[in-house]
Amino acid sequence: MAFSSLYEEKCPFTRDYSLIKNELLNIDDYDKTCIETALHGVNQLVLGEWGNNTACQIILITDGSTGLGAMSLKESFASLNQRTAANPFPVPFSFPAKLHIVCIAPPNDPNLAKSKSLYQRLVDLTGYDGSISIPDGPLNETTVVNMFQKLAEDMYTSFKGTLKCGNLESKIILSPAPVPYTKVTDFDYQTYNLSDLIEVCGFISVSDVGSPMAVSRHLVLPASANKDHLPLSTEIDLTDDDATDEGKVPSFCVLLHGALKVENMAALVTLADNWFGFVYSWADSKKKSNLMLTILTPGSDVVPWLGDLNNLGPIDSPQEHMGAFPVRPQEKRSYSQNGVVWIRQAGLQSDIQKILRHARKLPEKTQQFYKELNRLRKAAISLGFLDLLNGLAYIFEQECMQLPGSAHPDCALQLQHAADVLRKTQNRDIKYVVVPLQTNYNSS
Amino acid sequence: MSFSITNKLFPSNHKTVFVLDHTPYFGISCESPIELEFLKARTPGFIPMTPICKSLWTSSVESAIEYCRIVWDLFPQGKLVRFIASDTVAHILNTWSPSQQNLSHVMNAMSLIGVPPPHAINRNLEYTVLHGLRAAIEALSDCTDIQVKKSQNQTFGDVQTKLINRCRVICITSARDNDSMKRLEEIFLSVLQQQNKVAAGSDRLLTIDHCHLVIINTFPVNIESQVNNHPPKNLSTILTTEVHSIKAPLISNKLSTLILEHYNLASTTVTGIPMKEEQNASSSANYDVEIYHASSAHTAILKGNALDSAAIRTIKDGLEYETVTLKWCTPRGCSGSELQNCTGMFRITPVDVNSRPSLCLINFLLNGRSVMLEMPRKAGGKITSHLLASHGGEIFIHTLCTARSVLEDPPSISEGCGGRVTDYRITDFGLLIKQNTLVPIKAGFVDEGNRPIQKMKTRLNRHTKYWPLTISSTLIFNLKGYIDPLPSIITKEKITEEEVYQCRRIIFNLISLESKNESLYSLNAGQRVKGQKREDQYKAMWNELETLLKKNLHTADHRSVYNCLLECHKFNFEEEKLSDKVELDEALRELDHIGPSKSDSDAPRASVIRATTDSPMSPPPLTSINPPVAKSGTSRSGGIYSAPRTLLDIFTSQEKVKSRPEFSGRLAGGAVAKLYANHKYADSGSRGESMEVE
Repeated sequence: MAFSSLYEEKCPFTRDYSLIKNELLNIDDYDKTCIETALHGVNQLVLGEWGNNTACQIILITDGSTGLGAMSLKESFASLNQRTAANPFPVPFSFPAKLHIVCIAPPNDPNLAKSKSLYQRLVDLTGYDGSISIPDGPLNETTVVNMFQKLAEDMYTSFKGTLKCGNLESKIILSPAPVPYTKVTDFDYQTYNLSDLIEVCGFISVSDVGSPMAVSRHLVLPASANKDHLPLSTEIDLTDDDATDEGKVPSFCVLLHGALKVENMAALVTLADNWFGFVYSWADSKKKSNLMLTILTPGSDVVPWLGDLNNLGPIDSPQEHMGAFPVRPQEKRSYSQNGVVWIRQAGLQSDIQKILRHARKLPEKTQQFYKELNRLRKAAISLGFLDLLNGLAYIFEQECMQLPGSAHPDCALQLQHAADVLRKTQNRDIKYVVVPLQTNYNSS
Repeated sequence: MSFSITNKLFPSNHKTVFVLDHTPYFGISCESPIELEFLKARTPGFIPMTPICKSLWTSSVESAIEYCRIVWDLFPQGKLVRFIASDTVAHILNTWSPSQQNLSHVMNAMSLIGVPPPHAINRNLEYTVLHGLRAAIEALSDCTDIQVKKSQNQTFGDVQTKLINRCRVICITSARDNDSMKRLEEIFLSVLQQQNKVAAGSDRLLTIDHCHLVIINTFPVNIESQVNNHPPKNLSTILTTEVHSIKAPLISNKLSTLILEHYNLASTTVTGIPMKEEQNASSSANYDVEIYHASSAHTAILKGNALDSAAIRTIKDGLEYETVTLKWCTPRGCSGSELQNCTGMFRITPVDVNSRPSLCLINFLLNGRSVMLEMPRKAGGKITSHLLASHGGEIFIHTLCTARSVLEDPPSISEGCGGRVTDYRITDFGLLIKQNTLVPIKAGFVDEGNRPIQKMKTRLNRHTKYWPLTISSTLIFNLKGYIDPLPSIITKEKITEEEVYQCRRIIFNLISLESKNESLYSLNAGQRVKGQKREDQYKAMWNELETLLKKNLHTADHRSVYNCLLECHKFNFEEEKLSDKVELDEALRELDHIGPSKSDSDAPRASVIRATTDSPMSPPPLTSINPPVAKSGTSRSGGIYSAPRTLLDIFTSQEKVKSRPEFSGRLAGGAVAKLYANHKYADSGSRGESMEVE
C-alpha cells in the first residue's frame, strides 16, 4: 500500500514475489506524509481480507518524517482525546497487529530524532510489541538491506515447543506462530505469553466443549528433534529423504490426533499459567485431517459451561464430588424464568387471555387457572399496577354472565370467587396466594 | 498503559443507581389505555369496562426492571444496578451485594413499597426526588465487592492501575420546566462534591471520580412537557448530565436506546424463522426475533465490506438505534458436534422476552439445537456469520470466522513426522482418553492447594509411565487376554489388596503358561510371530512386564506386585551390575527410593519389603533394567526391542551370571521342577490360597 494524503492498495495479499516486485517499481510521488490515513487504509484492508482475529504484521516504511501541519502524526495525537465514534483513530487496530516502523533515513538525521518518540508512541498504542528500525551505520544499500534482513528474521521465527501428555511428548511447531495476548477486563489488564510447554490435562468430548471463543487457532505440526538446528526455509526441499525417514519414526502427535479423531474428543491443554486451549482433530476437507490448537482467552473461567477449568478432575472421582457438563449458572436467565413483561401491550393481553382460556375449561383447569392468576396478581402488585386487578375482576364477572348454559356450575363459582379476592385491598400482598374455592364439585 | 486500555478499564456501567420518583404525582395515570381485543368481539349484552391504564409509577418501574433484566441476562457478574425510590424519604430497595442483584429481589422490594402515596397525607413532609438522588450519591461512594478486592490488591503493592470509581445514575422523574431541571442538576453536583469531601476523610468510602447522570423526564400522554432534551454535557470534570423528556409509555424505548450505549451492546434481528401458526398448526409463517448482545459480536461483519454491512443495517421502526438483520438458516445435521472457528462469544437476551416468536426461538435453542445465521453478500451468495446456541441454560451468539484463513491448504498430519507409521495404538490411547475424561468437581470438594487440574497432570503422568506408541514396539499390550487388567490396575494411584491379588494371579498364570510352553501368540494369531522362538517371546514378555511394573512403583502395594514378579521369574542381569558388588541392603534402599511416594517416614514399611525380598529364593536386585532382547534388523526407536544387543550377547551374559545361587527348581536337575512345591497352585483353588507366596 502506498500513502500520502490518500492511500492506494498497490497489490493484494499474495505470495507471488514477482507481482510485488513489479508493483514496487510503479510507485509515484504524491503530496504529503499522512500516516493516519495509511493506518485507516490498513485497518480496512486487513479487516476485509482476514477479519478481526488474524494476527498481522504491518511494516511502515518511511523516510523518518511524520508529516507537517494538519494530518501529521503530531496533529493526530493532539486530537486523540477528542475523537468521536464516527472519526476514530485507527490505532489500536481492529485486529491483533504488530507495527514495525522502518526508517530509511540517516541514523543521525535530526528530523528522525524528533520523529522517533512519535513513532514509539504509535507502536505503543497498538498494544503489541512492534519495533522501530533504523539503519545501522550511514545510509547506503548495504545498511538498508541488513536492516530488512534483520527485521525478517525477527518477524518470522516459528513457534517451537513441546506437546506433553504425562510421559509422552512430541516436539511441535505451531503455525501460525501465536502472539502474546493482552486481556482487558473492567478492572484489570494483563499480558499473557505462551509457554513453550503445552501440557495435556485431560479430555472432554467435542460436543461438551461447544464452540468457545478462540483468541486464535494454530496447526500443531510434529517437529523432528534432530532438525532443530536447520532454519525452516528452502532447505526442506533438499532434505526430502530425511523427511521420508521421519515419517516412519513414531510421533506422539500423530497418535494423539488419531485417537482424538476416533473418540471425537478434544484435549484440554495448559499454555501458560492460567491459560488454556483445546487440541483436537480438524479437517478442512474430508481428506486432509490435522491436529489443531484453539487458544482460549486467558483465565480459567472463560468457558462458562465448563466451569472453572482449574476445577476439572477425573471421571472416577467420588460420585458426590462430581458435577456434569454443561455447568449451569446458579441464576436462571430471564428467558427461562417465565417472568412477566408487560411493556408491549401484547404481553399483557396474552397473559389475560391465557387465564380466560383456563377459566372456560373449569373445573378441569382449576390448578392452571389459579397458577396463572397468582402469577399475574403478583406481578401487578410489584409493578403497582392496581388498575389491572380491578379490571381483571370486572372481566371475570362479565365472563360469568356470558357463560353458556352448558357451562359447568363450578365455572361461575370460581370466577366470582376470584373476582372477589382480586377486589379486596387487604389481599394486596405478594405473599398472599389465591386458592380455589372449595365447592361440592372439587372437594373430592 | 496505553490509551485504549485506560478507556476500557473501570467503566461507568459497573455501578448504576436507578432513582425512581415515588412522589404522589407518579400515582397518576399515563392516560394510555390498554386495548383488550378479546373484549371487543363480545355479544351486545356486554357492558364496556373502564379502560385499564398504567400509572407513571408502573411505567417507570417496568422500564427500569426491563433495563436490569437485559443487563443481568448479558452480564451475570460485575454489572451492578441499585434501585432507590424517593418520596418523603429515600427507600433503598437493594444493595451492591451480589445476592440482591437479581430481578426477584427487586420485584419483591417493589411490592413492599407499593404505589406512590396519595396527595398530601402530611403537609409538613416534603415529597421530592432529591432524597433519592442524595441516597444514590452515598451509594456510589460505597465499595462494591470487586472494588474492595481491587483496592486491597493496591494496598499490597499492585499499583499497576489505580482504582477509578466511575458510575451512573438514571433518574426517572418529572420536572416542571427547564429551570427546575437545571436546578436539579446543580443540586446533584453540589451534593456530589460534598460527598467526595466526606469520602476523602474516610477509608471506607470511595471518592466518586466521575458520575454520569441520565435524567428521564416523563409525563402522561395528554400533556406537553416544558422540559427540553439536552445531550450529554460536562457540568464539571466529575459530572456529565443529559436529559430526555419522554411520554410515560415510551420510557422503555428510550432506555433501550440508552442501554445499548451504556453497555456497548448491539441489536440483531433474526429474520425468517419458520414457525407454526398458533391457530392452524399445518401452515407455517416466517417471523423475526430481535436480540441484544455485546456489540463486539458484529465487529467482524460490520468492519469488513462496507457495502455488505450497509445492506444489513436498518433503523428499527419507532426506535433510534440500528439493528443488524441476519437470516435464520435451517439447521442441517448437528452443528454442535464440531468445534466451530469461533472468534467471539457473547450472551444474548431477546428484546421482547415473552412474545411468541421469541419464546419459540428460545425454546428451540434451550432444547439443545443450534442455529446458524447468514448474511447476504452484495457480490452474490451469502456467508454464515454467526451461530446461536445454548450451553447450560444460557444462550450465546458465537461470531464465526468469515474472513480468509491463513491456514489455506494445510498439509495432512500423515505427511509430517510420524505420518507414515501405521500401527499406532489408537484404540489403547482411546481407552486412556476415556479414563482421563474431565468432569467438573463441585466447589466444595476442591482442594485449593492442589487444584483438580494439577492432580490430572499427575494422574496422566502416572498413566503413561510406560506407554509404547506403536503395536510393533510392545508385546505385553498385545497380549490383553493374558495381562489385562494388570496395566490398568498398576497405573492407579492406590491399589486395593484385591487388586494386588489379581495382578499376582496374572503373573502366576503367565508362569504356568510358560511352563506348559504355550505360545503367547495363540490368542491373537494375526500378530507377526515369524522368527521369534517361544523362549524369546517369553523373555521379551517378562522384560517388558518388568519395565511396566518397575515404572509404576507408586505405593507399597505396587511394589509388592513388582516384588512378586521378581520372585516368580528369574531375570538376567547385566554383568557389570553384578560386578559392582552392590550390597543387597544398599540395593534395597535404592529400590525404596524409586517410588515417588517414598519418604523417610516410610522406614518401617521398607523392612517389610526387605523381608519378602530377602527370601533365599529371590534373585539379586536390579538397579536398572535394560531390555536384554534385541530384534535384529529393525531400526525402530523406542520400545523394548531397541536395545542394541544380540541374542549372543544375552547368552554370553547369562553364562557369566552362573555364579549366583540358582533357583531351587533348577538345582533339582534336568527334570521339570514343580513350582511352588509348598502350596497347591491351581486355577480352581480359592484365591487366598493361590496367592500365598513364600
